Amino acid sequence: MPDAPGPLAGCRVLLVEDEYVIADEMDGWLRQAGAVVLGPVPDVDGALDLIEREAGALDVAVLDANLGDGETAYPVADRLEELGVPFLFATGDVRLVDEPSYQSRTRLEKPVTQRGLVRALQSLVPPRGG
Amino acid sequence: MAPMADDNAMVRRQRLLADFGEFALRSENLDEILHEACRLVAEALGTARAKILEIQEGGQSFLVRAGIGWDPGIVGELRLPMGEQSSESYSITAGRPVIMRDIRAEDRFSVPEFMRAAGVVASVNAPILLPGGKAFGLLQADDTRPREFGQEDAEFLRTYTIILGPVIDRLLKLGQLRLAEERFRLTVETALDYAIFVTDRDDQITDWLPGAAAVFGWTAEEVAGRPGAVLFTPEDRAKGEPRKEVLTAMEHGWAPNIRWHLRKDGSRVFIEGSLRALHDEAGELRGFLKIGRDATDRRAAEERLRESEERFRQFGEASSDLIWMRDAATLGFEYLSPAFEPIYGRSREEQLADNTLESWAALVHADDREMVVQRLLSVRDGARANFEFRILRPPDGELRWIRNTDFPLPDQSGRVRRLAGIAKDVTEEKASAARLEVLVAELQHRGRNLLGVVSAVAGRTLGQVGPVEHFRSRLQALSRAQGLLSQSGSDTVEVGALIGAELEAYAQAEPPKVTINGPKVRLTSRQVQNFALALHELTTNAVKYGALKGEEGQLSVRWFIGQTGRGRRSLVLEWEETGYEVPPEAGRRGYGRELIEKALSYALRATTDYRLDAKGVRCRIELPLA
Repeated sequence: MPDAPGPLAGCRVLLVEDEYVIADEMDGWLRQAGAVVLGPVPDVDGALDLIEREAGALDVAVLDANLGDGETAYPVADRLEELGVPFLFATGDVRLVDEPSYQSRTRLEKPVTQRGLVRALQSLVPPRGG
Repeated sequence: MAPMADDNAMVRRQRLLADFGEFALRSENLDEILHEACRLVAEALGTARAKILEIQEGGQSFLVRAGIGWDPGIVGELRLPMGEQSSESYSITAGRPVIMRDIRAEDRFSVPEFMRAAGVVASVNAPILLPGGKAFGLLQADDTRPREFGQEDAEFLRTYTIILGPVIDRLLKLGQLRLAEERFRLTVETALDYAIFVTDRDDQITDWLPGAAAVFGWTAEEVAGRPGAVLFTPEDRAKGEPRKEVLTAMEHGWAPNIRWHLRKDGSRVFIEGSLRALHDEAGELRGFLKIGRDATDRRAAEERLRESEERFRQFGEASSDLIWMRDAATLGFEYLSPAFEPIYGRSREEQLADNTLESWAALVHADDREMVVQRLLSVRDGARANFEFRILRPPDGELRWIRNTDFPLPDQSGRVRRLAGIAKDVTEEKASAARLEVLVAELQHRGRNLLGVVSAVAGRTLGQVGPVEHFRSRLQALSRAQGLLSQSGSDTVEVGALIGAELEAYAQAEPPKVTINGPKVRLTSRQVQNFALALHELTTNAVKYGALKGEEGQLSVRWFIGQTGRGRRSLVLEWEETGYEVPPEAGRRGYGRELIEKALSYALRATTDYRLDAKGVRCRIELPLA
């Protein structure tokens, strides 16, 4: 039970990150900010499953661009694009988000800070009434 | 009728013939002899005038070559056409004397105007025939008084011309010989590039022409009497070459002489020439004629050219890059170094057999062909070009990348005559560059991820009690894993090495507390980091609360290759601590156990079974392998 509504109160955030320790930390940050975290999930399949299950109830997504072993989060990004769900990339791999179709997207370079993550998400999500 | 010549007249004529013969033997001057002949004839016949006409212009005319009693404007000056009607022509044609007793009444022959003008009335002539029968001209005696030249007079003239013929012939030939000799002398003395000299039968130098002096540096005086061998190099003299050359010339008439020779100053000159044996008319050896040209400069130039060509050839042959040249007009290849064959997968013979731009361009990838041809044309226009293109290498059509550096080779007038270039197969280079790019990106990703991990671990560890030491040890575990990754060079780490590094401090204990056992299994970089963290937490727990704390405990780490429920290969690791007194509440450290149980399963789909009971800790980790 959160003591007070955080900056992301009630916001449903999909978290895709393959590194457990990092995913765990971000998960903590988002919860502290009042968000409802979907995931974290480490791979594309898990992320797409989650999107289908939660379709319509998803506000924003945090995507690690490089999911290891050559897998990228682009299929997830494409699906979110179709659904009109905003997202940002958190990545250590500059080259990946240099892909032309994703250049305009918000990008957080690792290591990501708690403040930076929360602010970036706030700017992507329209303020809620009430 | 002509009066008979009296005995005195006969004797006088005989004496005059003898006098002439004697004069002719002494003189070598034709004009002098012909003049003397006219004088004696006039005296013998008792006339004031006598002359000799020489046939000239191949039988077209007569020249008054010599004469006595005639005006200066006539002798040596006057020319007469050899008319059909003249008595002179008739005499030549008939080959016998003609007598005209009275020109004024003459109706057989036309008489030259100058003779009429001079008042000549009577005339007698006889043809002068050279040995062999060829006519030289005629001898003619004229009188301004009517005169009955008799048959004896004509016979005298005939006898006279018979003596005159051989005398003239000898002097004509002598003149020709002198002319030829003079010409020869001028020729050989002017040819300073040619060393010409003559030796006697013992090969001693007798004649030394200016060309020889110019080429060898000796003057004629210095070298006269020396052996021809003085011009040979010491090496050739030691080998007996001078003698061999002389013997060859004696046997075959001549011997080639193409070798280095010695100048007076000791420097060397390359001579191309021959030695010819000289024989007299009886076939007896008289000596040798040596003629040779100074070919030192040409030979040196040839040598330099050969060396330069050889250097270029060696350069081309040794190069692993293709060096090529094309003719600017046809764009066909003029030179291909051997590297053409491995790079283009086609023999040079095959390429040159159909030496067209098209046959080469057919090897180029269709998408690059137009660009490549355009570049070549721009080089022909004088530009330099540096470009890469793809070829499909026969015979299997393998795609290779070629990097060409092309440049024009202009002639002295600046016109591009040839195109040249260096081509290199850069397929591996490009692949390696691409790999490097991926690697750099991967390293960047990994480094930043690691910072994220460290930051997260720090956040979690430092949030607990007495944590700095824990944080440092976790950081060291991560650092060890990274170290092993960078050492292996293959981006993988062997399980045994990872465990060995973590348990290093305990593995050597006596009596033994730790047994480590398992096959060689390699983990990827992604697996290593989480695996190392989990191992570290297991070890930390064992040191603080478990088998590695006291004297008694035993730790066994063993692993093997197993199979997951889905049929994938997996690594199964069993961690077992026994033989120690298990403390209450042991192993409750929250984050450490969380890392063991969750970190591996999260992204690596591992399953972890961690148990703590009265016997001790048993942990089983199963990690799917690629």
